[in-house]
Amino acid sequence: MSRAGIRRTYGAISGTVLAFIVLPLVVIVWVSFFANRILAFPAHGYTLDWYARALDTDAFRDGFITSVQTALFATAASLALGVPASLGLVRGRFPGRDAVQALLLAPMVVPGIVGGAALFIAFIEVEALLDIQVAGTIGGLLVAHTLIALPWTIRLVSASLASADRAIEEAAASLGAGPLTVLRRVTLPAIRPAIVAAALFSFVISFIDLEKSIFLVGPGRTTLQIALVNYLEWNLDGTVAAVATVQILIVGAALLVSDRYARLAQAF
Amino acid sequence: MATLAHPEVLAPDFAPRSRPRIPRVIGGVLPGTLLVVIALLGPLALMFRYSFNRFVPGELMVEGFTLANYAKFLHDAFYRDVLLTTLWVAALSTLICLALGFPVAYALVRQVGSRWKSRLLILIILPLLMGNAVRTAAWMVILGDKGLLAALVSAVGLTPPRLMYTPTAVVIGLVSVTLPFMIVTLQSVIERIDPVLEEAAESLGAGHLTILRRVVLPLALPGLLAGTMLCFILSMNAYATPVLIGGPQFHMMAPEVYQQVAKAMNWPFGAALAFVLMTVTLVLTTTANVLVQRRYRRWSE
Repeated sequence: MSRAGIRRTYGAISGTVLAFIVLPLVVIVWVSFFANRILAFPAHGYTLDWYARALDTDAFRDGFITSVQTALFATAASLALGVPASLGLVRGRFPGRDAVQALLLAPMVVPGIVGGAALFIAFIEVEALLDIQVAGTIGGLLVAHTLIALPWTIRLVSASLASADRAIEEAAASLGAGPLTVLRRVTLPAIRPAIVAAALFSFVISFIDLEKSIFLVGPGRTTLQIALVNYLEWNLDGTVAAVATVQILIVGAALLVSDRYARLAQAF
Repeated sequence: MATLAHPEVLAPDFAPRSRPRIPRVIGGVLPGTLLVVIALLGPLALMFRYSFNRFVPGELMVEGFTLANYAKFLHDAFYRDVLLTTLWVAALSTLICLALGFPVAYALVRQVGSRWKSRLLILIILPLLMGNAVRTAAWMVILGDKGLLAALVSAVGLTPPRLMYTPTAVVIGLVSVTLPFMIVTLQSVIERIDPVLEEAAESLGAGHLTILRRVVLPLALPGLLAGTMLCFILSMNAYATPVLIGGPQFHMMAPEVYQQVAKAMNWPFGAALAFVLMTVTLVLTTTANVLVQRRYRRWSE
């Protein structure tokens, strides 16, 4: 095969595969404007009614609010825990460092359903022991979401710290800056882009989580993803597509912004 | 650097009393580690212990030390089938990912400029982060009886195949979740292969397929392995796709774990299922890793 032929073959395969990857995204946005009562092709005209309907659906509205609150908390908590942890992992030299690093990244490796099941069982045991409510409360959800956001924060921030020039920190210290001043005036500004990217990424990871949350939501306290899955079990109409479109816009915006600060592909 | 480390030489007036030091940062790992221990390791250990308890309907769980839950898994044909289904669905989606992911990753590295490459990578990653619920809903709209695919097939005058609630649909759904991971992993490995090697092989008369087989694949093997394992693990543990696209008659392991732990409240058996799933996944990926690495060493000699 000629060079041009090889190029064309790769182009054709890649184009098809990319279309396959993007297809679900495009289709769900498209059908959110269909006037059909049940989602089906072809369209019987177009409408914006499903967006109004989505706003009127309590499960989606409340789920959205719970998801945003949870994701904001998980973002703040994963930064509060993840940035110091990354500093310790990258700048510190101590026995068992590799083990600690593996442990901190473990929430990414343990399957969501298995980790969720284990947390659910543990929460119920704690409830029985201390006579308080945990599973099905916002508290349990916040713990779980912080846990899943943490490894992503550590990966992004550690990568940035490892490539930051240490000589500048040493120079600042040698010129008389105290440890906290070095941290505040030199180290943190150097890794700020990674921190912004980690914050946005943590938000997205928490917002779209399904597997862990499914064990931890209770009556009246449902995240958006669980509300969507519950709705999908019985209905397939434009409401779901409208909610999905809004979610795609939010996640897409967060990703585009965070890509300006850190190469997204790096996080995977 | 040696002088900078001794500030009294450089700026004696401003020299701090103690030796200049980068902040003590080791303590920073403690809070995060504590969270992982309390919210992941502890619960996993507890669940492992519970997998040896007995389940008595009505009383929930009775303390004990029995292998009955694991034995039940082995002897019950239903659960054996669930594991087999999970295995072949995961293996098939992983193979498809490998076959589709490699050409895309290769083209991204060798045939696309860096500006377009990063744009295309965002395009590949974005659907990954639209969430399992939304993506699954989209596949329901595409593959359903009155979906996009059926409409297109009928438009050309053929009878559309029934896809919804079939294993085929589940594999399609799974591939769309795992393919981006495969492409990103492969792309980062192929990026590190020097194109000069391929040019040398070409100038010596090797065809493109020979170059791929003899030069690129051996060098990309660590990435191929990492991507394959990632896809396999993700598929083995899939939840939303088998539940919503596979329908009530289609069973995979992760949904069964949820069913037993959260719905049937049979914690000992649910826990046993979870650990069977993790062990099988771990054993298979480790074995594959060892076998391929051995082969790799022979290749590189």
